[in-house]
Amino acid sequence: MSRYLLAKVARAVFVVWAAYTLSFILLYLLPVNAIDLLFDPTDLATTTAAAKRQIAAYYGFNKPAIVQYFERLGDAFRGDLGLSVQSGKPVWYAIGSVIEPTLVLAVCALVVAVCIAFGIAFLASRTRFRWLANLLQSIPPATVSVPVFLIGLVLIQVFSFNLGWFPPTGDSGLVSLVLPVVTLAIPVSGPIAQLLTDSFLRELEAPYVMTAVAKGATRSWVLSREVFRNASLPALTIAGVIFGNLLAGSVIVETIYSRPGMGRLTELSVGTKDIPVIQGIVVVSAILFALGNLAVDLIYPLLDPRLKARIASQ
Amino acid sequence: MSTTRPKALAFGVAATAAGLVISACSANANATNSAGSTNSAPVIGGTLRFGMLDAPQFLDPHDTYSYPDSIIADNITDRLTYQDPKTGKIEPYLATSWSYNSSLTQFTFKLRKGVTFSNGTPFNAAVVKANFDQDAEGDESLGIVADTSHFPNYIGTDVVNPYEVTVKFSQPNASFLQYTAFTGGESAGFVSLSTLAESKDERTKNPTTIIGTGPFIIKSFTYEKDVILVRRNGYDWAPPALAHTGNGGAAYLSEIDMETIPEASVRTGSLEAGDLDATLDVQTTDERLLRKEGYQILAQSVPGRIISFDLNTSLFPTNDIDVRRALIIGWNRDSLLKSVLTSSYRVATSPLSALVPGYVDYANTALKYDPKEAEKLLSDDGWKVGPGGIRVKDGKQLIVKFVGINNLVVNEPAYELMQAELKQIGIDVELSVLPIPDFSVQQAKAATNWNGVAENSSRDDPAVLWQTYSPAVGNAAFVAKGSAAAEQLTTTLQEIQDTLNPAQRIAATEAAQNLILVKYALTDPVYEPSQVIAAATYVHDIGFDAQSRNDFYNTWLGKH
Repeated sequence: MSRYLLAKVARAVFVVWAAYTLSFILLYLLPVNAIDLLFDPTDLATTTAAAKRQIAAYYGFNKPAIVQYFERLGDAFRGDLGLSVQSGKPVWYAIGSVIEPTLVLAVCALVVAVCIAFGIAFLASRTRFRWLANLLQSIPPATVSVPVFLIGLVLIQVFSFNLGWFPPTGDSGLVSLVLPVVTLAIPVSGPIAQLLTDSFLRELEAPYVMTAVAKGATRSWVLSREVFRNASLPALTIAGVIFGNLLAGSVIVETIYSRPGMGRLTELSVGTKDIPVIQGIVVVSAILFALGNLAVDLIYPLLDPRLKARIASQ
Repeated sequence: MSTTRPKALAFGVAATAAGLVISACSANANATNSAGSTNSAPVIGGTLRFGMLDAPQFLDPHDTYSYPDSIIADNITDRLTYQDPKTGKIEPYLATSWSYNSSLTQFTFKLRKGVTFSNGTPFNAAVVKANFDQDAEGDESLGIVADTSHFPNYIGTDVVNPYEVTVKFSQPNASFLQYTAFTGGESAGFVSLSTLAESKDERTKNPTTIIGTGPFIIKSFTYEKDVILVRRNGYDWAPPALAHTGNGGAAYLSEIDMETIPEASVRTGSLEAGDLDATLDVQTTDERLLRKEGYQILAQSVPGRIISFDLNTSLFPTNDIDVRRALIIGWNRDSLLKSVLTSSYRVATSPLSALVPGYVDYANTALKYDPKEAEKLLSDDGWKVGPGGIRVKDGKQLIVKFVGINNLVVNEPAYELMQAELKQIGIDVELSVLPIPDFSVQQAKAATNWNGVAENSSRDDPAVLWQTYSPAVGNAAFVAKGSAAAEQLTTTLQEIQDTLNPAQRIAATEAAQNLILVKYALTDPVYEPSQVIAAATYVHDIGFDAQSRNDFYNTWLGKH
């Protein structure tokens, strides 16, 4: 067990380091002088070289890339990700001040998405009407095909501007969270529902289900007592995909609903080529991703006795 | 820098006598520049909910970058002088009078007494010196960048007495007087000594510590969400020109909630649903709709150098003056009004916007649409129509590469229209319209890669031409150093920066425009950018100042 744990932790650390290094290489290969971007384009011609040198030194851009890499990596290990070139704020502060609303949004959206996905999978497997099952099974592909911004704009038009039930902007309280959460949950629920529906239907044909039915169990009883647990396990394996969807979706959802958050910070930093912040976001995302996967790796053996036995025998 | 008294001062005429200060009483100065002016008495109190596209980030007035940054910073601070938005004249504000030496290297300001910062500390000569010194020279330990664009050749500021300062430069700097009224990016507003002691990081993290003397105070700041301003009670030192009566000199609104709403349809929808009272950054398509629905549309051109493609005179084929002339007269600016712009915008009639003193209208002369003449210029110059309708000379096609910024909603459609019309006379414009950071990258390579670069500079002063086109300064048209053209341009443009005599300055500005547009064809003007606000009918007197930034000092909300 400890070897398994060690291997998984080592992998998580590697993922974060690789994300840091790759993002460093990519960002430093960009044909952009981060210092030039600090000045108004119309003032660049009249800004003196001395002023530019002064500010390059302040942000540490005056050293060779390889020296910067090792210095910044060392700082990153000590928890210092540098300064935002655009705002002058420490990167940790810039990310830290917006991470909470995004985490709240993402966690709520994930819960809602899982509920939607289970609802679809349960109904699609339980119904005896072929057409209803087909209709329900066509929902997951549809949710991923409709662009998030379109879902958001339609919801805001109907529920904010026409009905006035929810505010169109802001992050004050539960009421303002409803529309963004639903908007983000819809595309995220798609892959989960697809996977659950498939595995529900597969499990329903398994011999143990036949035995239960033969003993007189109803379809609902079998689904909720027997199939549910066995069919849900594979959904954990797409945690990475779900995580990616949540992050990508938050960029759009936060923009439409004018909410502060990591998504908006990402969009802004990419737009302004704020290299330290972009790299900080990559690293923080990699850490969250690695932690999530590590948690799944550690929980999985507890849920699946077969895997537990295999690890124990190693 | 030195704090000793100036030795040999040869001060020229006092500004008042020079005719720069007019009108102690211009009662209606802001009437045409503001929203829904009525005769009824302003209502005191209420919160204005104001929408905008960008998230304000730098509320330190010396460090403002975006339009919302400067609107907020300007409403919490005051400046030495006030510029009348209609006439461009410089009028008293925190400085009651001023004078300068004949070579325009020294400017002395007498300060108003009794002005305080919102933390109770006094505004005086020491504060002015501390602000100008930090702004002009930067402070490495605090992460503050020197503003060398507005303080070129700064020597220092001397405290003459507690209410008098002298600002010194090593070269003539006529436009400095206008800068003392400047509210655009990196403005001339004053902050308290406590703010000056903070690092850039501290000022950005918690902007409520940015202390000004202005009619509003920052109450709260939530990045990417909103900035809430509250009225400064006891404020009573607005420029006389703003003709503010009532509420003992303080503003009328109790609060301003400035909300960042990135998505255009949500801004418009929020205004229609009553979640906002007014919004900036109105799309041209929404503008027509909102006007029909009875909303007020308030707009003012951004003064300065307008949106214009500066032509590279050192790069083929725009090194050929006939090609440059054909580019200028070969497309119809009026068609922009039909398809791209609304009535809130003006098509280009000069490299300068019409608000800037000394502006010359070239609509019926150098900028008159004349495709026949353009084709004749090209044909006579040896450019024959070749394959695909594109002209060819010596085996080379007439392809020009233009780059612009996508930050203003009408830029791209305007440039595409220009591109389509120029194609009809045989010029193939290869167009790139980019976000600001990508544009900055390309701009750095403009000398060798681009035939035309389009951007605007907002400053209500003709010195913007000197700053942009003088071969000794910005040299936006890449005029070869040492050429006759370079010499003539340098001399003529320098005259704008060398005088504050209104008649001489206007003459120099006219001569500069003639050289830039007519004689050397250095730029291909497109349109005058505007700031457009949509507001509900009960919103009164949202002001546009001389740099087209909004001031809310006179704003009030009627019954609704």
